[in-house]
Amino acid sequence: MRVYAITGASSGIGAKTKELLEREGHKVINIDLKGGDICANLATKEGRQLTIDKLHELCPDGLDGMICNAGVSGACGNLSLIVSLNYFGTVEVAKGVYDLLEKKHGSCVVTVSNTISQGAGRMDIVDLLNNIGDEKRVLELVSMLDSSSLSVGNSLYVSTKYALARWVRRISSSWAANGVRINAIAPGNVNTTMTATMSTSAKMALNALPIPTKYGLESLMDPEEIAEVMVFLVSPKSRGVNGNIMFVDGGTDALLNSEKVY
Amino acid sequence: MKPIEKYIDAMENKDFAGLADLFTKDGILCDYCSNSSSQREYHIYGREAINMFFRNKFGFRQYSILGAEVVNDTQAEFIANFGGYNIMAIATVREVNEDGLIQRLTVRPK
Repeated sequence: MRVYAITGASSGIGAKTKELLEREGHKVINIDLKGGDICANLATKEGRQLTIDKLHELCPDGLDGMICNAGVSGACGNLSLIVSLNYFGTVEVAKGVYDLLEKKHGSCVVTVSNTISQGAGRMDIVDLLNNIGDEKRVLELVSMLDSSSLSVGNSLYVSTKYALARWVRRISSSWAANGVRINAIAPGNVNTTMTATMSTSAKMALNALPIPTKYGLESLMDPEEIAEVMVFLVSPKSRGVNGNIMFVDGGTDALLNSEKVY
Repeated sequence: MKPIEKYIDAMENKDFAGLADLFTKDGILCDYCSNSSSQREYHIYGREAINMFFRNKFGFRQYSILGAEVVNDTQAEFIANFGGYNIMAIATVREVNEDGLIQRLTVRPK
């Protein structure tokens, strides 16, 4: 039996991943705002610290895997939340449990998005997140943006996910040299509560991102399709995979960026 | 209508399904103009892929054409707009099958 922690596992991809891991007989600790084994708001510094402390308390012998899955969409209407939860809620928690992962030569998986390759992110914000990492300053900048604009929200969402993917690539070598692998999954549009509650215009945008494996079905991806890859990436079967941004999108990225082979 | 005229008609009307239907099942559309707009060039293989690709591009207003003019039986010129970046382009129907469906079409900067 291995021990895993996962953020945002009360619903959607996280819940399905938890279910699959438990079915394999592993212990899974869910960290979520509501309904978690650890209830914490990862958009706040206090919530992140609470999570890190609790995980140290619950797993003194270490963690086999940390799955950072919690996040909000660009349509949530709260720009600060997009930054604080999607980026800092992932990076700070992953760094905070690094010593637990090191103890067991564990693996970390971060959920990003296949939209990172579609050129909609703001690279100035990506650079500020990755290169400065000052949450307060980034939030000040973001507070000046128009939170009622869907395109602004979406652009910020993509920026946080892009920055996460780049952080994974940057950190992966040194972590792996110390026995901890880290990879990211870039899902396509998945049928979750997040996508089900989107506005009509946001749904129209979703439909303009075709999923080749669902051609003609007008259907989004099933959370299980993403969860199966999550389970693989935190398992020893993927021991040779590190620093990888794995697109699990039914081929949308290949459709829109066929010339990008690396 | 000739295949090149049908192509222009579909592009002007942002009719991704109609555009895809102009091609054979394994038809290919290569667009080299996007290189100039700092994007990678497009190589779209297969009718379904053409349908999905242009559904995305038209849906997000990332590809449109302006001032199209058919210049001969297989070629047309137009200004291609890649999300705000304009480039003079020439489209050429390179191969057509016996049913008049396009096997290969290229779009290059002019």
